[in-house]
Amino acid sequence: MLAYLLMSGIATGALYAMVAIGLVLVYRSTGHINFSHGELFMFGGFIAYTFFVILGVPYFLSLILAVIGGFVLGVLSDRAVYRPLIKAPPLTMVLATVGFSFFLKGIARYFWGSMEGGDYVAFPAAMDPSPIPIGSIMVFPQQLLILAGAIVFVVGFTIFFRMTRAGKMMQATSENPTAAYLSGIRVERVYTLTWGAGSAIAAAAAVLMAPMTLLSPDVGFQLLLKAFAATVLGGLGSMPGAIVGGLLVGILESLGGGYVHSGVQDVSAFIVIIVVLVVRPAGLFGVRNIRDT
Amino acid sequence: MQPRRHVLSTMSAALIASMCVVGAANAEVGVTDTEIKIGALGVLTGPLAKYGNTVYDGIETVYEEANKSGGIHGRQLVYVREDDRCQAAEAVGAAKKLIHQHKVFMIHGGACSNASLAAKPEIVATKVPWVITASTAPSLTDPVTPHIFTTMLAGWMESYAQVQYAVEKGMKRVAIIAQHDNWGRSRYDPLLEAFKLHGIEPVANEEIVPDPADATAIALRIQAAKADAVILITFPKAAVVAVRDMYKVGYKPFMIGGSTVGDVGLFTKNVGIPGATDNLHAVSTIGYAADDPAVAKWKKLVEAKYSGDTFNIYHMFGIASGQFVVEALRKAGKDLTRDSFNKAASNLSVNTDVYGGPITCTPTNHQCHNTAAWFGLVDGTTKRLATTTVTR
Repeated sequence: MLAYLLMSGIATGALYAMVAIGLVLVYRSTGHINFSHGELFMFGGFIAYTFFVILGVPYFLSLILAVIGGFVLGVLSDRAVYRPLIKAPPLTMVLATVGFSFFLKGIARYFWGSMEGGDYVAFPAAMDPSPIPIGSIMVFPQQLLILAGAIVFVVGFTIFFRMTRAGKMMQATSENPTAAYLSGIRVERVYTLTWGAGSAIAAAAAVLMAPMTLLSPDVGFQLLLKAFAATVLGGLGSMPGAIVGGLLVGILESLGGGYVHSGVQDVSAFIVIIVVLVVRPAGLFGVRNIRDT
Repeated sequence: MQPRRHVLSTMSAALIASMCVVGAANAEVGVTDTEIKIGALGVLTGPLAKYGNTVYDGIETVYEEANKSGGIHGRQLVYVREDDRCQAAEAVGAAKKLIHQHKVFMIHGGACSNASLAAKPEIVATKVPWVITASTAPSLTDPVTPHIFTTMLAGWMESYAQVQYAVEKGMKRVAIIAQHDNWGRSRYDPLLEAFKLHGIEPVANEEIVPDPADATAIALRIQAAKADAVILITFPKAAVVAVRDMYKVGYKPFMIGGSTVGDVGLFTKNVGIPGATDNLHAVSTIGYAADDPAVAKWKKLVEAKYSGDTFNIYHMFGIASGQFVVEALRKAGKDLTRDSFNKAASNLSVNTDVYGGPITCTPTNHQCHNTAAWFGLVDGTTKRLATTTVTR
């Protein structure tokens, strides 16, 4: 039982981690929580659905196209919604992101929401969906793909931040936007890139998860809550924290559901948030002195 | 003689005038010599819009067929839709609009129970006949209101049928996987009642959320409880994840699904793993799979009239209900009044083209549909396996 629960927890946690990374990315650069992040995740899934199921494009190419589509959507959302409000009070930005989430949900419902007679669509697996043995347990190949995908994206983002000029500019802006601006970095352009990158990784997570569940316009909210719990646990603003936090939330959910009661499974993320806020408000890898732009 | 003749003619004129007034007063609201205006109250926009519109598309298809064959005693049926957005506050306004602005003869609709319950007081106060199509709250028709009828199974009936079916199949150790949100509770509580009535205890009672990413823990817990049957009270998304994860851990119990997975073929496609739904039987309000040749006529009509629609169980809710209303209107006679409609509907049994049993109303029972049908896969296609007449 333990092996099954750990495997499931890690696979689910990897998804939470990927969504959490996008949240942290935007938060670190802009100082704002993107409450439409769940819907960007959902939208990425539907972009992939369009390519993979409707147009018959191969899965991995659909994944790449969804990531590109997610990036473009993030950039557009920055230009259309967030940039005009860049100097607005935080509450205005919260309302803007919440409003944008409803907008995306409405669009998704209009175009894809009733394609199969309900408010959800099935996203076929990339490979034979039958479970395969790994040691003493059975796992879905898609679970392994999620793990592999999460590792690839985390490594890719790490390389991007450490090795590329754009990544370094994003890091510099997140550390000190004023200093970054004075050193010649076009901070607004970095923000745009950040919204795009956050959205792109959310889209990747959606494409990995979709074959495990069904895809619906409402799928994003639940994931946002779990990802938010992961970022709080890991430390709001910490990239390693988001990864560890995501994995821990996934594992805790799975173990709680298995050994305590299934009713505990879904609330464990909220219990995590409460406990962390009380015991260690900065989280496991808490970043101090987050600057509010 | 002259004054007497004057009095006589004055009295005659007054009598004729009063007869005209009485005649005008007797003309029923929403009924003319050429048409009967009927109002649809239901969800037309928002997340559940597809469910509402699909049901009303089914009703309208039946009305159109009746109109093509000359109407009801020469009157054409006109269907006016008003949106309750599945919200209580909106439903009251929509009901008032239908009754006072559109001046409909009757209301034929109602999808979300909370909205229908909110609209009920206005409909009761105005005594407008109401045939409910898809709302499942039992208190809409129990106790009986003389002018309110339902052609949908009540929420508790599905749960009772699930337990009854498990018992009939000889299952000894029965487990539950249920959502505990508002929708789930409306079925979960009656399910526990039904367990008690049959004198059995669930061996495992697991909770699932409507949008789970994983249900391995639930699958393992039920497997550990050695359940030989599992009753599912979930939306399709949660059921897909639960069924997949039970299959993954090598656990293959007899699964008794709710109406949300009643289209077993579609559900199997959504699960996507060959063999994972072989042991699934699901209850349904309707009597035929959407691709059954027995309902091909309606599938063709619906899909021709509504090009965006794929024929499904929600159309069939509307078709069965539409056939019942058309028959009640016919039986009410040419001199149609609300009273004559209520009387006709209260003493009517209709074998519709799409349900597994008749819709039967009596003066003391306006929960007119009580036949649950069971579906499963036979040689890869969805087939009706049995029917259950549900009683409390």
